[in-house]
Amino acid sequence: MIQAQSLTKRHGDKTAVDAIDFTVQPGTVTGLLGPNGAGKSTIMRMIVGLDRPTAGSVTVNGKHYREHRAPLCEVGVLLDAKAVHTGRSARNHLLALAATHGIPAARVDEVIELTGLGSVARKRVGGFSLGMGQRLGIAAALLGDPSVLILDEPVNGLDPEGVQWVRQLMRRLAAEGRTVLLSSHMMSEMALTADHLIMLGRGKVIANAPVSEIIGMAGTHRVRVRTPQAAQLAALLAQPDVTVTTDEPDLLKVSGISAGDIGEHAAGAGIVLHELTGVSASLEEAYLALTQDEVEYRASGSAQLQEAGR
Amino acid sequence: MTETTATETTAPETTAPVAHTSPAAGGAASAGYGLSAVGLLRSEWIKLRSVRSTAWSYALLVLVSLALAAVMSSTLDLQGADASMIPAADQATFIAQTATFGVFFGQLIVAVLGALTISGEYSTGMIRSTLTAVPRRLPALAAKAAVLFGTTFLVGLAANLGSYLVASLILSRQGLGVSIADPAVFLPVLGGALYLALIAVFALGVGTIVRSGAGGIAVVLGIVLLLPMVLQVIAAPWAAAVLPYLVSNAGINMFGLMSFSQVPIEWWVNLLVVLGWLAVSLVGAAAVLKRRDA
Repeated sequence: MIQAQSLTKRHGDKTAVDAIDFTVQPGTVTGLLGPNGAGKSTIMRMIVGLDRPTAGSVTVNGKHYREHRAPLCEVGVLLDAKAVHTGRSARNHLLALAATHGIPAARVDEVIELTGLGSVARKRVGGFSLGMGQRLGIAAALLGDPSVLILDEPVNGLDPEGVQWVRQLMRRLAAEGRTVLLSSHMMSEMALTADHLIMLGRGKVIANAPVSEIIGMAGTHRVRVRTPQAAQLAALLAQPDVTVTTDEPDLLKVSGISAGDIGEHAAGAGIVLHELTGVSASLEEAYLALTQDEVEYRASGSAQLQEAGR
Repeated sequence: MTETTATETTAPETTAPVAHTSPAAGGAASAGYGLSAVGLLRSEWIKLRSVRSTAWSYALLVLVSLALAAVMSSTLDLQGADASMIPAADQATFIAQTATFGVFFGQLIVAVLGALTISGEYSTGMIRSTLTAVPRRLPALAAKAAVLFGTTFLVGLAANLGSYLVASLILSRQGLGVSIADPAVFLPVLGGALYLALIAVFALGVGTIVRSGAGGIAVVLGIVLLLPMVLQVIAAPWAAAVLPYLVSNAGINMFGLMSFSQVPIEWWVNLLVVLGWLAVSLVGAAAVLKRRDA
């Protein structure tokens, strides 16, 4: 279990993490989600003592990380692929980490097998692809058989096979009763892997709830309507609280009215429908809706881009 | 996969157990694993021996020492004098100087190695793995210093002993020879190795403070190599007064290879001067390592 209390990190005048509180429960995969600069990585670094909190504290299994007798056996962490000396072989890297805790070489070979690095374990890490580097980072995180796993962008650089492997691994680790905290920019990945989300914006927690609830927060359900008489139907549906958008000539996206009512209207006017589907908001939409005011660098630059796009 | 690596990774068997003890929380911790001094030393030893720069540096140290000893002893010109006329003490001094001459160059090699030992971790990001494994940080620095000290001392000793053997072999043709058991020989041989080990750890401290590979090497070489040169050029009396207390001058004076002072300085004073530089470097490194975000 990870518990943060009034956890704060300031760099000069800039507040990266602003007095946040959260608890990450065992047995679940918790996703840390937020735009760049929201403080995700800083939080992860503070949990394992790489960054010192300006105020507040964060504990793992009831203690500060540095106070554990066997830190690697409490927390496994993948911060980014670049935490390995490029001149050393993967196996020697893991052996050096294992040696600090007296973890035997047999366990090193075990995590090498588990992460599929067997064929490259004796090669220097400098020649590794991004995906191989991620696998090595995950191997290092699993070394101490920890009860808490913290993974920053774990699927970054992995091929589809690797992505699926990480996803299953996360699920299995959580099912074994471990605490799994991961961050990702890939919303679809979060929707598939995480049970619970902590959404961050400008260093603050803006939502902390199960994934399904977060999607619910976005609210608006929409209806996809495919019809050869799109213009005619759009005119028919024009009401104050109904919005109709269109990307393709024969496709309408309608919100503010139910699928059933659209069907009634169409039938009444003799309009042929090829498709009529209710679409619930995606996690991506929920995320955008919730972080709309929180995006840090929404300065004049992007505003001009939006203008130019019109 | 379009990766440059020759081998194709196959998806590992995802049904294999992750845990090797019990899947319950803290399973491994209860298996008796934990941080220990011996573990940290072993870890730093694995790290030191598993990068190429270490082997290269030490091999270069030994080769340069042997080569210099060979050149120095084979170019000795007695100008027709009979070796038996040369006092034993002078013979011992010459052989000792020949056996430790490599330290002049060796100090630069181990200084670079010492700085790289830590700056290599900063430049590659390895330091984050190291400090995550050892979150109290200072034990990791201490273990690194101890391993670097021990290894450099042993390699330095081997280089100096090898140089003694090379010099003895070549000089014996001219009838010169002094036993290694003579304190005038083995003390400088030991002292030279000790100085190499100390300068490597000094550089480790500087590398920890500076954090960048190029920066660390530049600062260390500046202190070891350039500072004595610059001060020698300055004519002011204060420059001459400071000269014997520079780390490299004190270190080299320690085993009597060369003196930088009008009045002789005791070997233990020189040792204290070197240890003083070392203390400043390590205390600075410890303070910075403890405080800074990694």
